[in-house]
Amino acid sequence: MGTNPVPTPPDFDLHSDSERGLEAASIPVRATRAAPFEAVQRFLSRYGLIIVLLALPLAFMASDLAHGHGFSHILENLKDGLSNGAIWALVAIGYTLVYGIIELINFAHGDVFMIGSFVSFGMWGTLGVTLGTGTLGRVGGLIVAGAIAMIACGSLNVMIERVAYRPLRHAPKLAPLITAVGFSFILQNVGLEWLGGSQHGVDDLVDAQHILLNIGGVHIINADVLAIGITIPLVLLLVAFVQNSRLGKAMRATAQDPEAARLMGINVDHTISLTFLLGGLMAGAAGLIYALYNTTIRFDQGFEAGLIAFTAAVMGGIGNLQGAVLGGVIIGCIQQISDDRINSTWTPAIVFAYLILIMVFRPQGLLGEETREAG
Amino acid sequence: MRGRRFAVSSTLVAGLAVFVAACGGGSSGSSTGSTASGKTLTIYSSLPLQGASRTNSEALVNGIKLALNQAGGKAGQFTINYKSLDDSTAQTGKWDPGQTSSDARQAAQDKSTIAYIGEFNSGASAISIPILNRAGIAQISPANTAVGLTSNAAGASPGEPEKYYPTGKRNYVRVVPKDTIQGAAVATVMKSDGCKKPYILNDKEVYGQGLATNTSDSLKTAGIPPLGNDGWDAKAANYRSVASKLAGKGVDCVFLSGIVDNNGVQLTKDIAAGIPNAKIYAPDGFCESGWVSPKEGGVPTSLDSKLQCTVATLDPGSYPPAGKQFFQQYESKYGKGNLNPYAIYGYAAMSLALDAIKRAGSNGNNRQDVINALFSTKNLPSVLGTYSIDKNGDTSITDYGLYAVKNGQIVFSRVIKPNAG
Repeated sequence: MGTNPVPTPPDFDLHSDSERGLEAASIPVRATRAAPFEAVQRFLSRYGLIIVLLALPLAFMASDLAHGHGFSHILENLKDGLSNGAIWALVAIGYTLVYGIIELINFAHGDVFMIGSFVSFGMWGTLGVTLGTGTLGRVGGLIVAGAIAMIACGSLNVMIERVAYRPLRHAPKLAPLITAVGFSFILQNVGLEWLGGSQHGVDDLVDAQHILLNIGGVHIINADVLAIGITIPLVLLLVAFVQNSRLGKAMRATAQDPEAARLMGINVDHTISLTFLLGGLMAGAAGLIYALYNTTIRFDQGFEAGLIAFTAAVMGGIGNLQGAVLGGVIIGCIQQISDDRINSTWTPAIVFAYLILIMVFRPQGLLGEETREAG
Repeated sequence: MRGRRFAVSSTLVAGLAVFVAACGGGSSGSSTGSTASGKTLTIYSSLPLQGASRTNSEALVNGIKLALNQAGGKAGQFTINYKSLDDSTAQTGKWDPGQTSSDARQAAQDKSTIAYIGEFNSGASAISIPILNRAGIAQISPANTAVGLTSNAAGASPGEPEKYYPTGKRNYVRVVPKDTIQGAAVATVMKSDGCKKPYILNDKEVYGQGLATNTSDSLKTAGIPPLGNDGWDAKAANYRSVASKLAGKGVDCVFLSGIVDNNGVQLTKDIAAGIPNAKIYAPDGFCESGWVSPKEGGVPTSLDSKLQCTVATLDPGSYPPAGKQFFQQYESKYGKGNLNPYAIYGYAAMSLALDAIKRAGSNGNNRQDVINALFSTKNLPSVLGTYSIDKNGDTSITDYGLYAVKNGQIVFSRVIKPNAG
């Protein structure tokens, strides 16, 4: 679990001063030749990641300034990235929680998120929340719909764990991976039966694209407030829960060493179920936000979202909560900058190119730590 | 010795594999025999019966059935059996390459097949044409408009249309005008609406990309060159940054060149919100209830006034007497208020197939003779008006209909007579 990262060990220097001196004395020419290369290598290993992350926004910011457009355009891109990324972050948390505790890539998680959107949409239909409903009614209806979507997705995730993953806890790793793919297809077909194969426009209950504020040319729309306003408290609550509560400590202990945790009296099965519950709750909330934010839902939305969110979790350092959020926001920003400045056709390629570069510079991800598997 | 034996057996296995693969490769055109057996012939249709295009496809099927019914189920001396296939899947919610291929193979392997009506989507026809071409079966599309399916004119991709006709002979015709005409129609409308800075977005499919090129060329000719022609990612969650980019360029008109199934509802909403004063134009790939009807998951009615689309169909009053009569008969059979503009193209496609079989006379069961009859269609009176089929398989009809959106419904606005050059 990433809430309490293992302190990074100081850079170990395998050569003592005398050894280094000896080497320098015996092979002086090689040492001089290597020096500039090593300096570049040191510079890249220290700042390469920062350069990679800032390259795109800085390049476009410079271009904006050169054309006399100021900072508003790039800030607008980053703002859009932040709010889009908030949704990916909530989904990514589910991937990272599950991977952190049982080292399983829960391929069904994206589809649990899709069910969250569908339940939300169904619930506000059941509650009679429409465009004609007053503000109070809408807010109340959406809170109830959101709560039910979260509970539904949480319970669904727990059920999936109980049925498809727990019996395979000691099976080869490929087995639960395949059952995860299987559940992903089952949920997609549930969605297909539910609303059909076409995209389904839903009522714009929050007037998503209404400009609420204009801060120096950066337009804050209702959807931005909704996405960030729900995501931040949820993430803070989750982090506080995992860091401070007894159950959270049990989760961290189980993530570190399940056998030792069991010996210490922790009910590992319940702890794993709790992890799935928390991931599902976040996916349910993300499903509600997605439906309100985009006002179009589709039975296969979870596939693409799941892929992006999983990438965010890996980018941030799988197993690390803050990393998942950071990864989600970074991907959101890359997507928006690419859509706006380059071409939406290239966006998926650019996102994954970024992932590759980040992995090259920091294989454990931005805020990653060593997992049990990695050693 | 063991090594030699291994080498020999490997060669034999490899040779066998190549042989089996070669047999399999040829199976798509299994009944290449040019004569369909017996006096009962089969005409297949392959259309997307699921997803946003379902309503249009059902209307096409109804039109096809009505034409066959009115002909007494006969064409010349032959009895005609009709089979409707679905080229879409529930999973994709639109035409699917695997399903399209399967439909074409089913028709190719049926010895009684004499003609194939389809596909609805140009991208799908790009898959079925080569299969049916190998089998020597006549194909008539009631809705394809992509230029590259029939000619290498502007809008076609490199290698088109030759790559669709592996035998070197043509077998595909269509009863709707190609996108050179639609592109010109869109440009005509944009110019008359006062567009100054148009922009084109395409869905990167065969149809969307080709039409985007045609429209871009026509806009240049009309003196309002587009500021850009970009692809959109059909899998994206939203297109707010795309809209923001266009808004930043001062775009006043946007043409969505593609099909609505490729996340067109989300794209339309985001463009409308990001560029509030922009007029949004779309082609026949969008012009369906799944785009504009909130009941079917389309855009909200508040956007109606911004939207217009072009389709090769006109309103009943704009057709010749035979067309008007068709609409009356269609409504009396399928109910009033159930009229979809595509129905007439289903009727026209089946009528053309029946007419070609009839014109082939006693050789009406000979596939190649029926194809020849199709390509020799000259001044054929029909519900669409009198038309001919040229050597590429294109119709001589050029009229396009402009449609507006009112209360979540697509309503006919006017006939466009484009100058496609």
